[in-house]
Amino acid sequence: MLRALSALVRPGRDLRVDFVRGLALWFIFIDHTPGNLLGHLTLRNVAFCDATEGFVLLAGYASGLAYGRMMERDGWAPAAARIAGRVGTLYVAHIFLFVVFTAQVGYSAALLDQAAYLDELALDPFGQEPYRALLEALLLRYQPAFLDILPLYIVVLAMFALALPLLARPVLLLVLSLALYLAARLLDLAPQGWAGRDWFFNPLAWQLLFAIGVVMARADPAWLARRFPWNRWVAALAILGLASVAVMLNLVWHGPAFGLERPEAIAAWMAGVDKAGLHPARLASVLVMAWLIAHLMPPQARFLHGRLGTPFVLMGQQSLPVFCAGIFLSFLGRLAIEVSAGVPMQLAVNLAGLAALVAVGAVWAWYGNEGSRRKKPPPPSLPAQSGPATP
Amino acid sequence: MNAMRRLAAILLLAPALALSPPGATTARAEHACPAPPDMAEAAPLPGTFAAIARGDLRIMVVGSASTAGGGTSGPDASWPRRLQALLASRLAPARVQLEVFGGRGTTAAEHARIIAMEAARFRPHLIIWQLGTVEAARGLPPEEMSASVQEAAARLRATRGELTDVILMDMQFSRFFRANANVEPYRDQLRIAAAAAGSQLFSRWQIMNHWAETEALDLERAPRDRRVKVADALHDCLARVLAGFILQGVGDARR
Repeated sequence: MLRALSALVRPGRDLRVDFVRGLALWFIFIDHTPGNLLGHLTLRNVAFCDATEGFVLLAGYASGLAYGRMMERDGWAPAAARIAGRVGTLYVAHIFLFVVFTAQVGYSAALLDQAAYLDELALDPFGQEPYRALLEALLLRYQPAFLDILPLYIVVLAMFALALPLLARPVLLLVLSLALYLAARLLDLAPQGWAGRDWFFNPLAWQLLFAIGVVMARADPAWLARRFPWNRWVAALAILGLASVAVMLNLVWHGPAFGLERPEAIAAWMAGVDKAGLHPARLASVLVMAWLIAHLMPPQARFLHGRLGTPFVLMGQQSLPVFCAGIFLSFLGRLAIEVSAGVPMQLAVNLAGLAALVAVGAVWAWYGNEGSRRKKPPPPSLPAQSGPATP
Repeated sequence: MNAMRRLAAILLLAPALALSPPGATTARAEHACPAPPDMAEAAPLPGTFAAIARGDLRIMVVGSASTAGGGTSGPDASWPRRLQALLASRLAPARVQLEVFGGRGTTAAEHARIIAMEAARFRPHLIIWQLGTVEAARGLPPEEMSASVQEAAARLRATRGELTDVILMDMQFSRFFRANANVEPYRDQLRIAAAAAGSQLFSRWQIMNHWAETEALDLERAPRDRRVKVADALHDCLARVLAGFILQGVGDARR
């Protein structure tokens, strides 16, 4: 079983990136099934950032690798066209998931006989104005709960297609990206949603994280290591910082349950750490974590090839199908947890969910590789670059 | 004078507090509406304590649909009115006045405006602010919700000093709501908002979740013909647990 999965892992890439990405995809599945007990164990319980930040950063990294190479080889137009195709795929996937979501809300409303809730909570714009809701969903202006990451990804990737020529000038790319981020935050620039709802993730701010990922992928690893060298004191400070954030967050959230005083001034600051505009604290914590992982996890760590690592590496390498499958499965998971939130159901949802995600990754890797082999056999001299490096 | 008041308050409160341990109301009610074992204890409520000592407690309740009585057999069965009745009987001879503001679909920002307007007139000693449901259902920015709470708390402190205590109340637990709205970020933000505003959070979500899981009270699974009856029982139980929470906070302020 392990050998079969390992055979599907695409070699020649930084497996740590794939592993962390796979982990982020699993966390996203868990965080999208509210009521899931594993939800208490994901990143967002101990840090300002959560799996979404990791996902976007590494999506930028993978895109930088794949399309950067294409840009160098074929030029702007073909690379941009490939990205446009990718954006189209993501858009179709999003609309498909939207349809599934709408069906699921309607079904669980009927199941629980909750017409009153739907009405009271205005959770069902679809029932009230179906044609308008459909139009707004197609325009990405109506994003139901839990369907907010793909629209972000779509817009950021489309921006990346335009910014491709800047790959040769990474400093300029970063400066422009930072300027857009600051403008979005300071001037409240954000795409408008339907009926006054903002986008859950403002793409004009979140593009910065993606751009950082792109630049990291394009940079020479040796140069990166020189530029951000390992320093025991900085690392100790970083770990201390992350740990104190974890303690503070949990003190504010759960302190009262243990009769502990909550620090009012810190809470007042925390209240302003927004997710929509990627608050600098969230940005900093994901970058600090990335730096720590890059240095603390050796690129050839044995577990990356082991029983624990391989399934996540595989998931991370096939991130788009696994992500979409995760969102789809989370709908089913929610229905299941609605029926019962007991331990047997929790076990069933999580085991089936993870197994299905790994299976999707495996099938896609197998099927995708078959497809590309049929189309053009890879030249034997370039084994590392044979497969299409999908972001 | 102050010492006299304190003494009077202690005498007045003694029977109410002596009857029951903190967190519970009466033995019967405790049996019917058990609070979850890990429920947060109330922090001291000095404004409420002082008001009871003077014999006149004014409570302002602000919230959205469930506060306006949604689903119950009538306004008298809603949790705010049940709370008033419970506190009045427990705190007699002190007078308990309670006014309810807000209504279906109102947001925290609107509540903050109501508080700014009405607090000057009503001069409440305790504000129970139920919020978060509308924000989570509509996907409004969580930070704006806590900003409303912080602003309202700062304004109250400026105009009323320590005379007004604030208790925030989160959303009703519902499996359907949990599955179809992204509730967790709003619950987290309410905890942060309570800490930032120097107020406290009464987690209705956690309590109702406990009742649903222990199959004590489950509005969502109640058959349709019994739903109003279950809603009445739910509001009554919530009022009992909340009354216990408030009395405990008052008792702590005495010490």
